[in-house]
Amino acid sequence: MDIIHEGKVKRVFQEPDSPERVIIEFTDTVTAGDGKKRQVIEGKGELACRMSEYLFGYLEGKGIDTHYVKPLSGARLLCRKVAIYPIEVVCRNIAAGSFCRRYGLERGEPLRRPLVEFFVKDDSLHDPLIAKDSIILLGLLEEDVLQFMKSVTLSANYYLTELFRQQELTLVDFKLEFGSTKDGHVVLADELSGDTMRVWDNDSTSVDKDVFREDKGDLIEAYTQLVDSLKMTRPEDVSLRPETVKVIVDPKGGIKNPPGEVTKKALVRLGFSDVEEVRVGKIFKIQLKRPLTSEILNQLRMMSVKLLSNPISEKHEVSLD
Amino acid sequence: MSIAVIRFPGTNNEDDVLRALAQIPGAKPYLVQSRKGLAGLKDADGVVIPGGFSYGDYLRAGAVASVDVIVEGIRDLAEDGKPVLGICNGFQILAETGILQGVLLPNQSARFVCKWVYLKVSEQTTLFTENIENAVLRLPIAHAEGNYFCPEEQLVPLWDEGRIPFTYCDSRGQVTDDANPNGSIDNIAGIINQKGNVLGMMPHPERASRPLLGSTDGLQILENFVRATK
Repeated sequence: MDIIHEGKVKRVFQEPDSPERVIIEFTDTVTAGDGKKRQVIEGKGELACRMSEYLFGYLEGKGIDTHYVKPLSGARLLCRKVAIYPIEVVCRNIAAGSFCRRYGLERGEPLRRPLVEFFVKDDSLHDPLIAKDSIILLGLLEEDVLQFMKSVTLSANYYLTELFRQQELTLVDFKLEFGSTKDGHVVLADELSGDTMRVWDNDSTSVDKDVFREDKGDLIEAYTQLVDSLKMTRPEDVSLRPETVKVIVDPKGGIKNPPGEVTKKALVRLGFSDVEEVRVGKIFKIQLKRPLTSEILNQLRMMSVKLLSNPISEKHEVSLD
Repeated sequence: MSIAVIRFPGTNNEDDVLRALAQIPGAKPYLVQSRKGLAGLKDADGVVIPGGFSYGDYLRAGAVASVDVIVEGIRDLAEDGKPVLGICNGFQILAETGILQGVLLPNQSARFVCKWVYLKVSEQTTLFTENIENAVLRLPIAHAEGNYFCPEEQLVPLWDEGRIPFTYCDSRGQVTDDANPNGSIDNIAGIINQKGNVLGMMPHPERASRPLLGSTDGLQILENFVRATK
């Protein structure tokens, strides 16, 4: 089999019979601290693979598009072939790890709401934190892809948090990577395991890679506990969470907008003399039954053209903000 | 001949249209509720979509009605060459379906306009304007979104192909800005499709169809429509 990519802890092979499929092999290598700390721990690859298999399958079942197709023997998964985006997405529920160091916070401080951060996927730069505007300005992602990733990340956070909660485990934070398929769909890719997330049990003890990172015990024991806990979850008990998106419809430039004109006159009459122009459009808040996918985004664009806007006089925009 | 007069939820001119058509010899108008779907158009030789506020004019005037199932039947009849007349909200619906080009935007005044206007009939004969070419008609309008607009690349063929039968004018037939009640591009009050069998117009011919109403100028338009259903 041809190797397509060799990462720090995984190898990606071309599936010989299907150009659009790859085989991802999880190795026993475990690294931390930007690759400075590195060890081979027998059995780790298999456990990380089983976690990924379970969690990708679970998220697929909840409507999130992932690259996962099916498990293979050993520490291997059959996946859709994707081009990985150069941005890693991190979602945090509780302060831990680099977030604490960066902002001087105590480990374990709960965040008011889930926080989504972006990092450049580049080992030579040590994967730096990056602002949204910089991502767009540097051309690392299109703005709509970035918004999409954030939305899917928050959906995944909800579903994973609820699943772990069943086993009295707390999802502290996790890292996601996304890729685009040949037909342009943006899907969740890479892995979902103790290597890419922090999970704490009842007394805030890590059952994830922090065990290795901070020399806190036996990593295999922790990962085995995590896999066993996952096997006891009931995915069907986690209810679907509706997602809200906005479609913004605006009168095109050059088209008169009488409602805006009379509104402007009224504002000026009230003394708001700085108002130069007002244009009145519409915002549709659309609640979806399930998480966003590229397919649903396409449907939203179709809705906008077919009914929500009149393309002759209005422009439309799907907003995931 | 059989003329289906469509009532969407919120249509409110259907009785006026039915009465106006009923006085024309040969016309057999009947009410069709939009929820009857395609079955409601089974025997129709022509269709009138009357005015009103279909679906409360929510979204945009005519937009929600334009995706009703019955509209597919109207589209088929139009493609078969059967005459179709959309009055006021009916015009807005036809524009939203794309059967007629363009869009009816909010009036330039941002107000509901309800008054008598004069219409200049084009000199080219159309299915709907036979015998009234070049005439000046007096008809009422009553709408908030009657401001016709279409892009230049559609406007030029509309003129070139004689598909603008009515423009707003003054009592002497002069097409002026002052005579434009809603800001319509080129004072357009009504347009016809390429095939020539579908007319959409903002003014109400049915409200100018007997002396008691103050004008009979709309009658000829309806008579021409009825004749075309035969």
